[in-house]
Amino acid sequence: MPLTLEIVTPEAKVYSDTIDSVVIPTLEGEVGILPGHIPLLTKVEDGELRVTKGNQTLHLAVGGGFAEIDGDKVSVLAERAITEEQIDEKAVEEALKRAEQAMRDAKHLDPNEFEHLQNMVRFAGVQLAVKRRRR
Amino acid sequence: MASTRDIRRRIKSVKNTRQITKAMELVAASKMKKAQQAALAGRPYTQLMASMLATLAHRVEESQHPFLVERPVRTRGILLVTTDKGLCGPLNANLFKLVTDIKSPAKFYVVGRKGAQFISRTKRDMVADFQVTDRVAFNEVKVAAEFMVKHFLEGIIDTIEVIYPRFKNTLVQEPTLRPVLPLANLQEFVGHAQAEAGHAKTADTREMLFEPNAQEVLEALLPFYVNRHLYQLVLSAKASEHSARMVAMKTAKDNATKLLGDLTLEYNKARQAAITQEILEIAAASFAA
Repeated sequence: MPLTLEIVTPEAKVYSDTIDSVVIPTLEGEVGILPGHIPLLTKVEDGELRVTKGNQTLHLAVGGGFAEIDGDKVSVLAERAITEEQIDEKAVEEALKRAEQAMRDAKHLDPNEFEHLQNMVRFAGVQLAVKRRRR
Repeated sequence: MASTRDIRRRIKSVKNTRQITKAMELVAASKMKKAQQAALAGRPYTQLMASMLATLAHRVEESQHPFLVERPVRTRGILLVTTDKGLCGPLNANLFKLVTDIKSPAKFYVVGRKGAQFISRTKRDMVADFQVTDRVAFNEVKVAAEFMVKHFLEGIIDTIEVIYPRFKNTLVQEPTLRPVLPLANLQEFVGHAQAEAGHAKTADTREMLFEPNAQEVLEALLPFYVNRHLYQLVLSAKASEHSARMVAMKTAKDNATKLLGDLTLEYNKARQAAITQEILEIAAASFAA
């Protein structure tokens, strides 16, 4: 029995399909999900999410959120998510530089802003890692 | 009958009005599209979060988190979401009716200038007012949400409720009072949200695993959920605002067009009457000669 995977961010439903297995980056390491998995609710960390369908593997960068496995339904609730081919390496690198610059420049950044920048930097790192993993 | 000159002047002014309302309608229409998309795109996320929360909630004790505990309500905390600008039909007035109906002691937190003006004019207890831009960013709402949550935890307010115009479709916006905290009847709420989305969840009765543990997941999920939920409500309010404004401006434009037709008819009649009068006078004069 195949799994159904749903990845939802505040902006859109990023992914929705039936799959064979998925590896989710969680707080306590990577968790591989196969059909018949025990119901699970866990926190998702910034990292690489791998979806296997047939003999194809799809890589996604996800950031911060929760995942729920209930029966044969896997739902990932992420703050950010992007598929590998959508990652624009140059744009990410520039964004990373800008964010790091902003963090260095402003000494008295308000904590919300700082947290936001930190998240951006972390997610940018993940995106680059996903994109460059073959090299 | 008014003189032709007066009518001409009125035609000119009505034409101006029509032009302005037409421009505003177009602006509102394009903003509406964006706002509606934003509101609709966020829905699956909030619903999924609610269903996760439900799975979690009936596996933990209610007393494990202050958000879940229902306590005697002395002061209600109400977030009133209104627009900054007027010219959007009865949208704000409908919300104010809901506010007027609240008789129990309450503290108000306001988004939007119109609401702030109303609350201070009617001398209600306003704690804070927040400004949000037209394309609402999550961080803007987060500030308001965290402020209210802080007051909730400190016991300054005992509930968090939101009054906002719920976006149903372009023509219909319902003024709604939506309780957010405490989340005492979570099951009921989730059922409601799912019925709205049109799918019910089949419950898995097996033992659920939580990582790292239920308490920690709950503590991470709940504040996150409240922030997101409030954000979604504000997005919905924005979509309502632009829809209401577009409809109001369209009506104004149509009225102006109709008035213009009537005035033009009247003007032509007056002109024709003047010409006929003149011919009559000339004819009479030539007969007399």
